[in-house]
Amino acid sequence: MTDESPIALHAISVSIRSKGGSRSFHLCVRLFALSLFCTLIFISPLRLSAQGAASVDDLPQRATAARNSGNLPAAISLYHQAVQQKADWAEGWFYLGLLNYESDQFANATAAFTSFLKLQPGVPPVMALRGLSEFESSAYDDALRDLEQAVLHGAANDPHNEQIIRFHYAQLLTRAGRFDDAMKQYQFFADRHIENPDLLAGLGLVGTRTAILMSEVPAQQRPMLEDVGRATYTFLSGDNEGAGRLFNTLFTQYPSSPQLYLFYATLLYRDRSNLAIDAIRNEVAAMPDNGYARAVLAFTLMIAGRFAEARPEAEKAMEQKPDLEMAQIALGRCLIETGTGPSDDKRAEGLLNQVLSRDSNNLEAHMAMAALYSRTGRREDEYRERMACLRLEK
Amino acid sequence: MSAWLASAWKSSLRILLATAAIAALLLLLSGMRWSGTAMAGSRTSSSTNATTPAAGCAQCHAEVVSSYSHAGMQHALEPEGSDPVLKSHPSLHAQVGPYSYAIETKGAESTYTVSDGKDSLTLPVRWIFGQHSQTWVLEKDGTFYESAVSYFHREQALAATPGDENLQPQSVPDAIGRKVSQWELLQCFNCHATHATEGEKLTLDRLSLGLGCERCHQGSDQHMQDALHGNFASRPRSLKTMNAEETSEFCGQCHRTWDTVVRNHWHGEADVRFQPYRLANSRCFLGTDRRISCVACHDPHQPESTSVEFYDAKCLACHATGGSHAAAGEVKETALAAAPKTCPVSKTKCVTCHMPKVTLPGGHGVFTDHQIRIVRTGESYPD
Repeated sequence: MTDESPIALHAISVSIRSKGGSRSFHLCVRLFALSLFCTLIFISPLRLSAQGAASVDDLPQRATAARNSGNLPAAISLYHQAVQQKADWAEGWFYLGLLNYESDQFANATAAFTSFLKLQPGVPPVMALRGLSEFESSAYDDALRDLEQAVLHGAANDPHNEQIIRFHYAQLLTRAGRFDDAMKQYQFFADRHIENPDLLAGLGLVGTRTAILMSEVPAQQRPMLEDVGRATYTFLSGDNEGAGRLFNTLFTQYPSSPQLYLFYATLLYRDRSNLAIDAIRNEVAAMPDNGYARAVLAFTLMIAGRFAEARPEAEKAMEQKPDLEMAQIALGRCLIETGTGPSDDKRAEGLLNQVLSRDSNNLEAHMAMAALYSRTGRREDEYRERMACLRLEK
Repeated sequence: MSAWLASAWKSSLRILLATAAIAALLLLLSGMRWSGTAMAGSRTSSSTNATTPAAGCAQCHAEVVSSYSHAGMQHALEPEGSDPVLKSHPSLHAQVGPYSYAIETKGAESTYTVSDGKDSLTLPVRWIFGQHSQTWVLEKDGTFYESAVSYFHREQALAATPGDENLQPQSVPDAIGRKVSQWELLQCFNCHATHATEGEKLTLDRLSLGLGCERCHQGSDQHMQDALHGNFASRPRSLKTMNAEETSEFCGQCHRTWDTVVRNHWHGEADVRFQPYRLANSRCFLGTDRRISCVACHDPHQPESTSVEFYDAKCLACHATGGSHAAAGEVKETALAAAPKTCPVSKTKCVTCHMPKVTLPGGHGVFTDHQIRIVRTGESYPD
């Protein structure tokens, strides 16, 4: 088993790079599972020892032999019998889960991994495997919860395992509408120059703000999603000029997808806010009643320090979407930076306090508060807010 | 203004205008226009064939232009072929991983060569970023690179460029350095040169080396043209009226604002380079108090003072019994009414304790930490 590990890891890497489509990912998952177990036996007390085997008669040896000979049905049956006899045999539950996964018996795999996790709670690689099993069983909310915890606790730290986990995790985040979080997972692939049509389509869903799984994408939409994904991937790879060209082609090619402007703007707004502003202005011009787009415009202008231009947009966005946090922050900050007196300061403070009452950890709101106090001579308040920001951004 | 004074002023103005008109005529006759070929005494780059209009500004602002010619910002980008550092170190070498680097200066030409022992690549050094320690921006086939090695004044030698130490180039062309994207180039040149950008475009054929008058005093070129015709209405806005917060944001365009550092989640000792950010983290910082603004201590038109005593008066403007508000320049905010603490240890060399020196990761440079504070023994870098 240990000897297989480098081969498995190598195979994962090669298959991801050279093959596209879900089949290669499925193969990768199997190989990944093997490599996970190699990791597991080093980090947990669950070793394949004779001592463990002796406690359940010779079933473990027979199960291992069946598994090694590729006789999955027999191996599953033997592991199943073994864990029925000794329910606290964690290793047995792990293999039962793994073999079920390999046999596409995902509900059984999930149940076996759950039994394992009852004995050994919080083992990140097994949480990741259960998450992947749940994904295949269409238990997406559970899968998201498990993969999130697995990633949080380091299951994706191995560069090879990371590909499988992050790809499925990104899909689930997209389905949940957590597009920015999904983007962070896809950034991993761009950083490593890993590219295939599924990744591009996944990025396309993020770009078009479409909260579905790739398996739910109508076939006729797939080319468009891959085009959006390619432009996004190019941007994430650091080729900003290339991305700009691809996005401009998209704007022409898909004029009925105004969300693309908004998406391009959100990609650009930190580093190239001026370009982002141009993109989002097009969005606002095309859909003047879109309060969200106007709020993004105001917010982006605010980030760029163009407060005088941002203020009227923020005011309009507040009229259209009075509860939108982004609009409240943008208007609050603009009032501070362009205001003419205490009434503007008071209004800004009120807006920012609204945001902070809902989200006390909102960094931009605290930054705006620091700016307010700095400009109104409240030294201690300013210092407190700046320190709060430094704690939050860590 | 009395009639006499008005008369004297008009007389001076006439002399000034006459001088300016003669100068303009001479310029036109000699073809030395501001956007054209180099003027004597201006800072030019032979590759860009560009010039600085500072000489023009000097007709009226001679003293400030003269002192500014020695200030650091004026030397943020050095001229190819006549850079003092490369002239005095005509053959620099370094080995970084499997690649060797050589910067050779012969006559008015400096070249950058990278080799893996089999193949080598030589490029001209055209854009020299920095006056003392230097990094070079190189161009190959339309792609720009930040040089993989930089010259460090502290060691008087080459070493890997900070931030690029972990690059693992797979070929000699890759080993030139880190590819720089267009938008990053805009930022680099915008903070090291004047007229180098126009919107989202690089205009390297127009650039003036370092930060010229126009870079901070936007509209000064137009003002100069107008002044030559006796029109002083288009004078650039005065930067003297900015408070500490506004000044930090202005200087922070290049030295990084507090917002920029926070939004980008930059951490670690390398952020000691971002003085406006560090200063704003000081307990004594207040946006409305000009005594804590960048320019309260640093005159951008003068070379930076390295004397620690020079800064004592700045600290004592607040931290002395009966601290002088007048010395700080018309501070009226009520928040200043509360007297700041005075130092029980010393009234001199304040910065040696309260603004400690921080060595950058890699050890190639030392910066003064502008986060003014009481430094506790053994405390780590406040980040």
